[in-house]
Amino acid sequence: MNRLLGIETEYGLYVEGRGVADQILESVNLLRCCPFPAVKGAWDYRLEDPRRDMRGFRVEQLAVDPHDAQIEREHPISLSERETRSDHVLTNGARLYNDHAHPEYATPECRRLMDLIAQDKAGERILLACAQAYQRQSGATVKLYKNNTDYHGSSYGTHESYLLLRSVNFDTLASTMTPFLTTRMIYAGAGKTGVEVNPNPRVPYQISQRADFYMDTMNVETLYRRPIFNTRDEPHARLRDYRRLHVICGDANMSEYATALKVGTTALVLDLLEDGWAANFFIIDPVKTAQSISRDPDGKWLVETDDGVMSAIDIQRRYLQAAQERYTGRDAETDWILREWETVLNLLETDPELLGNRLDWVAKRQLLSLFAESEGVPLDDPAMIALDLAYHDIDPVEGLYYALVEQGRMQTLVSREEVDYAMQNPPTDTRAAIRGLCVQRYTPQVESLNWERIILRNEEQTVRLDLSQLTGDTRDLNRRLTAASTITEFVQLLQSPRRASKTDEEESS
Amino acid sequence: MILQADERVRRPMPTEPLTRPGGDGDGPSKPDVKRPDTNELLKRMRRVDPDQARRYRQRSGQ
Repeated sequence: MNRLLGIETEYGLYVEGRGVADQILESVNLLRCCPFPAVKGAWDYRLEDPRRDMRGFRVEQLAVDPHDAQIEREHPISLSERETRSDHVLTNGARLYNDHAHPEYATPECRRLMDLIAQDKAGERILLACAQAYQRQSGATVKLYKNNTDYHGSSYGTHESYLLLRSVNFDTLASTMTPFLTTRMIYAGAGKTGVEVNPNPRVPYQISQRADFYMDTMNVETLYRRPIFNTRDEPHARLRDYRRLHVICGDANMSEYATALKVGTTALVLDLLEDGWAANFFIIDPVKTAQSISRDPDGKWLVETDDGVMSAIDIQRRYLQAAQERYTGRDAETDWILREWETVLNLLETDPELLGNRLDWVAKRQLLSLFAESEGVPLDDPAMIALDLAYHDIDPVEGLYYALVEQGRMQTLVSREEVDYAMQNPPTDTRAAIRGLCVQRYTPQVESLNWERIILRNEEQTVRLDLSQLTGDTRDLNRRLTAASTITEFVQLLQSPRRASKTDEEESS
Repeated sequence: MILQADERVRRPMPTEPLTRPGGDGDGPSKPDVKRPDTNELLKRMRRVDPDQARRYRQRSGQ
């Protein structure tokens, strides 16, 4: 893909004998057991601005979940902000930290789907190692789940980031992405037992984990009143040139194929937008539509639009067709996405059960059905929720998704060796390699770092390395930086006027 | 719908390459297909503690 991509996943955390009031501390304790080399406690928050809205304003404050706020009030913790965050930057350029009581792994920036899949899976393995280390230390059972709900009304996110040109008009971006994101769950959903809203409609199984938590079509929120289209304007690149599409409505996928299709199709729609294409219809009520599709996995997924009623599959086909017309034959990765997108939409229409080796929501439902029929229990039996949760257990010895992989029932896209490699190494063609090199070589000199800036202190000299413009293929630069024999040489390579700054200009601006 | 693994494993895997680290253009790997056995899956599912979902409570996140 010709853009920077990333996935950030907040993991569900279970520590035997501990409850929600202890969860921040337990998340911090788990991260303290991280057995991998890292720069710790140096994340630079100064360039972050989560209240800035793409629509041209900044909200006074972000909404919070009232139930969660009550826990916060009743169970204050005595950790410092730095301790609470427990920031780690890893040698692969990834960020690992505590985000709202959840251990979060944010992949390094990738340009290729296979790199992203490997880095996403590397995150699972890194966090599993943290959990195992903490379990040994504490003596309590520690489990991590890559999902988005506790099935009791609390949700946590899996967000995708896509860099795109700011020249894409906001209204066009929002109006084109919203129907796409509203219907994308038919292949990207992770599946969920039951419904988490009051009054609770009796739905034994739905397509999406996250749809119950959509409250708005579009806003800047992430903690509460979550939207389908998030308007946060925080590009982590040069503001005047770039936007970042921050997708917060998606599910955490265990399936590599589903992750690849989810990210690949979304990136292609952004390609279309950058090339001047736009969707010429809109969904009448996106939130209601998303929830209706999700809660009717065997339905026709009919959607009311200003252009009449059409199925979610046909909506996806509109985007697919536009992408096929423009990008067929562009490169192997694009051709894979186009072909699989078409195949999946066709099978969803004719025989969705054949997608049980690719899509999470289908695979999980087949597992639950197998158990229900074998044990003679209904699909809405409470035991099904435990099995649903176990599907997302990242421990390959116990997780049900990994039982399917072990038996060859799920298509995988990256090898174990590639995931092993990604645990220690960044993608070779993005600015993440620069961050990774700093962690690998210059940990004592790293004063602070984030997605777009690294500050090094060497022999009383402070150097700011500005990565905000390094959004393209940086393979050549990374190769030269890797060959640098000293930190001085490393810094000099980055200190062209376009690539680094030693001034205080940025701080004061 | 009971798993029909036989059908699925016979279906050809994608053959077009995705680019990979190193740019060698290898395609997605085929899964290591063993003889599907739902008994093993059921055994794994029976080991799941049915009370785990009741105990599993989380703070809200993003």
